[in-house]
Formats: sequence, C-alpha cells, structure tokens
Amino acid sequence: MARVIRSSAVTLAAGYVLLGFAALVLFAAPLRYAWQATVEDFRIELLQEDTQRFAEVFRLGGPAGLSAFIKERVGLQIAGERILLLADRSLHPLAGNLPAWPGSIPSEPGNYTVPIDLGGERTMVSIVRTALPGGYNLLVGRDVERFAPIERRFWSGLAAAVAVLLVAGLLGGILIRRALLARIHGIQQTVAAIMRGDLSHRLAVRASGDELNTLSQTINRLLEQIEQLVHGVANVSNSIAHDLRTPLAELRSRLEELSLTRPAAEETFQEIDAAVSDVDHVIRIFNALLRLAEIDAGTRRSGFVEVDVADLAAKAVEFYLPAAELENRSFVFREGGPVLVRGDRVLLAQAINNLVDNALKYVGKGGRIAVEAIRRPDGTVTLSVADNGPGIPDAEKPKVTQRFYRGDASRGTPGMGLGLSLVEAIAKLHGGSLELADNHPGLRARMTLEGSAAPQPLPEQHPGPRLEQAGAVGEA
Amino acid sequence: MKILLVEDNERVVRFITKGLKESGHTADHAANGRDGLFLAASERYDVIIMDRMLPGNIDGLAIIEALRKAANHTPILILSALGDVDERINGLRAGGDDYLTKPFAFGELLARLDALNRRGRQDAAETTLEVDDLRMDLLSRRVVRGARAIQLQPREFKLLEYLMRHAGQVVTRTMLLENVWDYHFDPQTNIVDVHISKLRQKIDADFERPLVKTVRSAGYMISADPARPSAG
Repeated sequence: MARVIRSSAVTLAAGYVLLGFAALVLFAAPLRYAWQATVEDFRIELLQEDTQRFAEVFRLGGPAGLSAFIKERVGLQIAGERILLLADRSLHPLAGNLPAWPGSIPSEPGNYTVPIDLGGERTMVSIVRTALPGGYNLLVGRDVERFAPIERRFWSGLAAAVAVLLVAGLLGGILIRRALLARIHGIQQTVAAIMRGDLSHRLAVRASGDELNTLSQTINRLLEQIEQLVHGVANVSNSIAHDLRTPLAELRSRLEELSLTRPAAEETFQEIDAAVSDVDHVIRIFNALLRLAEIDAGTRRSGFVEVDVADLAAKAVEFYLPAAELENRSFVFREGGPVLVRGDRVLLAQAINNLVDNALKYVGKGGRIAVEAIRRPDGTVTLSVADNGPGIPDAEKPKVTQRFYRGDASRGTPGMGLGLSLVEAIAKLHGGSLELADNHPGLRARMTLEGSAAPQPLPEQHPGPRLEQAGAVGEA
Repeated sequence: MKILLVEDNERVVRFITKGLKESGHTADHAANGRDGLFLAASERYDVIIMDRMLPGNIDGLAIIEALRKAANHTPILILSALGDVDERINGLRAGGDDYLTKPFAFGELLARLDALNRRGRQDAAETTLEVDDLRMDLLSRRVVRGARAIQLQPREFKLLEYLMRHAGQVVTRTMLLENVWDYHFDPQTNIVDVHISKLRQKIDADFERPLVKTVRSAGYMISADPARPSAG
C-alpha cells in the first residue's frame, strides 16, 4: 500500500513538472515567433529609412554626390556594423564598405536575409537592394548577429524558468507526498483498528474543509451506519434467539410429550392442532422479520407510486371499526381530502393498520382513538393515531420501536413485539420517522412522511378538519 | 377437479396429492419442468399448481410463460418459498393466477384451487347471486333474504358478494383480506372474524337456516347445505 502511494506521489510530481514544461513551451513558442517577426520588421524598417535618405542624396547630388556621402560615412565609421554599397549598372562598386557586389543577393530589388562574405567571414545579413535612377544599385544592410545576445538572453531566461519549475515541482511533489502519506496513514490506522473489530473508532476531522476532510467525514458517516447496522444485526440475532426459541421450545416439548405418553386419539389431535398453531406463530415471526429485512434493504423504493394515505387511514378505521364497537371503543377520523405520498401502498397500509391495531389493543373499554392524516404547510405528511389508553412511560418510548421489545403493559397480550419497529422501518423507507408522544392521557403515535411532489388536489371547502363520528365512517 | 402438480419436493408432493385425493380430486405429478410442460400441454387440467424453484435451476415462471405463449389458459396457482411482494407481482405478471407462499396450510391451498377452478368457468355477465333464499342484485346493489331487504354497508356488501361468488367453497381469511380489503399483508388480528360475525348478524340471525358457516382451521363458506363441507 505504502509503495503504491509513494509511486503515485512521484508520478504526481513528475506529471506536474511535465505539465509545467509543456505550458512553458506553449507559452515561449508564440512569444519567440512574435519577437522575431517584430525585430525583423523593425530592422527592415530602419534599413528602408536609410535607403530613403541615400536615395534623396542621389536625387540631389547624383552618383558622385552619393559616392562622396557614402565614403564620408564609411570613413567616419558611423556605419559600424552597417553594410553600404553603391554600384553601377554592371554591379561594379563605386563606394561603400564591401570590396565587391556579393553574388548571393538576388537580382531583383527587395528585402533579403542572406549570407555574405564580410571581412573573410560568412555572416547572415538583412539587406535592402534598391534600384536608383540611371541603372545604379544600392545595398543597405545590417548584420543580423547584432540581435543575437538578446535572443540568447531570452533562451537562458527560459531555461532558468524551466529549472525553477523542475525544482519547485519536485519539492512540491515531495511535500505533497509527505502530507498525503501522513493523513492516509492516519486513515489506514483507523480503518485497521475498525477491521480488528472496534467499530467505535472514527477518522480525525480537521477544522479546514479540504477534500480529505470531506472524505473523512463521509467515511465517518459510513462507519456510523455500519456500526448501527452491526448493532442492529446483533440485537436482532439476540431477539430472534429469544423469541423464536420460546415457541420452538414449546413446540418441541409438546411433540416430545406426545411421542412419550401416546395419549388417546382425541387428545393427540388436539395437541397436533396446537403444534400446528405453534408453527404458524413461528412462521408469522419469520415473515415479519423477512419483511423488515426487505424494508431495511430499501429495494422497494423502486416501485414507489402515488398513494393517498388519507384513504388508507379511512380504510384502516373502517376495517377495525366492528372490532372497536364490540367493546364500545370509538374512532374519530379527521379527514381533509386526499393526502398524497410517493410510496409503497402495501407497506403504508400495513404501517397504518399496525398503528390502529396497536391503539385498539391497549385502549380500554369505552376508549377513543383519533386518526388523522394531514399535509402540513412545509409539504410533509403526518399520519397520527392517538388513543386515551394507558400510554407508554417516557423511559420506555425509545425502546418500543426496537425489534422484539415488549413493554410491561403488553405482556400477556398477543403480539410479537415487531409491530412498531415495522412501522418505524416503513416510515424510514419513505424518508420519514415515527414519533411517540404523550396524548395526556394515552399515546400519540405520529408517522411523518415526505409529501408527494405532485400537485395536491385542493382540499374540500370547509376550512377546518372535518370530524366524523365513528358510526359515520364508511357509510359514504 | 383434475389437477397438475409441478413440484420437486417429495414430501410436499405427498402432502398435497394425499390431501387432494381425500377431497375427491385427482392429481398428476411432475417432478421437473420438462415433464410439467409436457403434461400441461398434452392433458386437460382444471388447475395447475406450479412450484417456482425446480430442478436444473428452472424457474416455474418460465414454464408458465411458455404455456401462456402456447395459448394454454388453464388457471395456475404458483407455490413458492419466495414470498416478497415483488416476487408475487412477478408471478402474476408471468401469467400465474394466484400466488401462495410456502409454508402453507392445506386448507388455504384447497380453497384457492377451488376459487381458481370456479373462476375458470364463471359466467362474467352474472347480475344476481343466489344462495338458498338469499339473493344479491349486483346492479341495484340490493340484498334480500326471503321477503326481507337487508341493509349492508359497502364493505359488508363486498364481503358477502365474495362469499356468494364462491358459494359452496371454502374461502380463507387471507383470501378475504386480499380480495375484499386488498390487504396483501398479515394484519395479525382476527378482525376478519369480527366482520363475518357482523355479517352473520344481518343475514343469518333472524333466520332458521344459517348460511355462513365456519370451516374449522380453514375459513368460511356460504352454502344452503346444512351438512359440513368436505373441503377441510
């Protein structure tokens, strides 16, 4: 792992240097081209200005005047590196600092850059050839080498820049590598500790919000989730062990006793029936657990559709109404038109039914259960089921949604201790939550869900929630 | 009924064929998909029971699809250990008519087979249902027993309609939950029994012959026959 990081850091530095080099070349090439063009133009311009002046002298003084002028200038050494030559029709030199007309110059007037023999050395010159009246020819030129030092300076400057870049790149690469290695090493150590089984470790997060920090935070959140899941699995395993073992033990002893005592046929069949219903109970727990696992996996989200939870609530109330009436318990259903949620119809119906069933189980004779499905101004949807039963003590509230937890009040009543955890899991699947609050007296279970983004149908005319007495529900 | 059972688990096969014979039905058995497909194509059956995970990694759904493509419309009940809601939907989409998850109670299986068989030959244009002196008019949504009109709430009407459409057959609590309430989950309560007893109050209480019968460890049945049904 360390070697991989090292080589990746070196590659990174080398890459930076290479990239910088390429950038410099790309930057220098047009610069050099522009510089050369400018200098060339400037040189030609100067030569042409000179040529013009000589032509003026020729116009005023003729060949003799210009010859004298040139001789004077050459004699004064004003010309310096300049090349001056006046020649007649047959290119015979009349005046100037060249011993003969150079053969390398093309025969047409114009601007040229050509090599000529200068004091025994072949030198590149920039030269302007002009035809003067009367067939005379004039050469005005300048040694190109004159600008060579500037060019050399340009190139050595560029080389220095490359050197600085190389050093900075390497140094930067080493520093980056060192910093990177230190932090990755930290992450590695934490992860190694976690892999050894201590899930409570977290990556160090610095105050600065750089990318590694963001990554660390994300990893921490991931660890949080893993820890929760692992604990969840451990809890569930314990609970399964307990809650499945109990009915299985009962079943086993029932069958074993039957096999040992061999009672009369009638009793045998009774025991077999009882055994079958024991098995059914185990299957039911199993199914509920599988359903929970299915919900936790979140795969059902792909099949979400628009669901009217108010309608599901109305149906649940209607479903439980006859059972409620048996013991003079009543429903109050608050309804305010359709309340749409994107979700799984089967699961939402199951969640709502579980809440109503739960309330009905614990509310006493003559008790009252209020069911309400509303869309709140912030777009969330709440479905609440409130009863005036004994409620749940505050200390127990967080526990009742744990899988297989059964509160003191529920001991002796049928159930598996999965109802509320199922509701909570379903709420979570829909991006919501389950909240248990005091109803003074009783329990108020409230499921909050994300409302559907689809436009909501307008609620009916009456401003407040309509109250429907128990008997009226389902008549419409 | 003549039933084809496509299932590879011998115990399950014995359990089902024995139960079916005792209930007066005949059952053929195929232990793999190829035999199943062959039998289904060459014989006439009233209902086919199709397991999903068959030998050689063959999904029973593939066989159902093949049968449906060959224009075989025999009602098919899918029997599977895959119980997810999605699997159920896949099964029905492939051309199955009903879906029962293993493990199951025999009573549940038999009731569903009866219902499928009945559905296969039901006259869709029925406008009245009759059981003894109980008459249901599906158009005016009126229910009369003898000379007396009976007032039912919409859900009670639906419940009674389902029972009457399957008169003489056992319907299980799960079937009622699925078909009357559209609840495809186990509500873990006996609420269906409460609804039935409320319905009984309205249609049976004041009459000499009760029509709605409880079938032990299976479900309910509406019929004029006072004798116990032989289904369980």
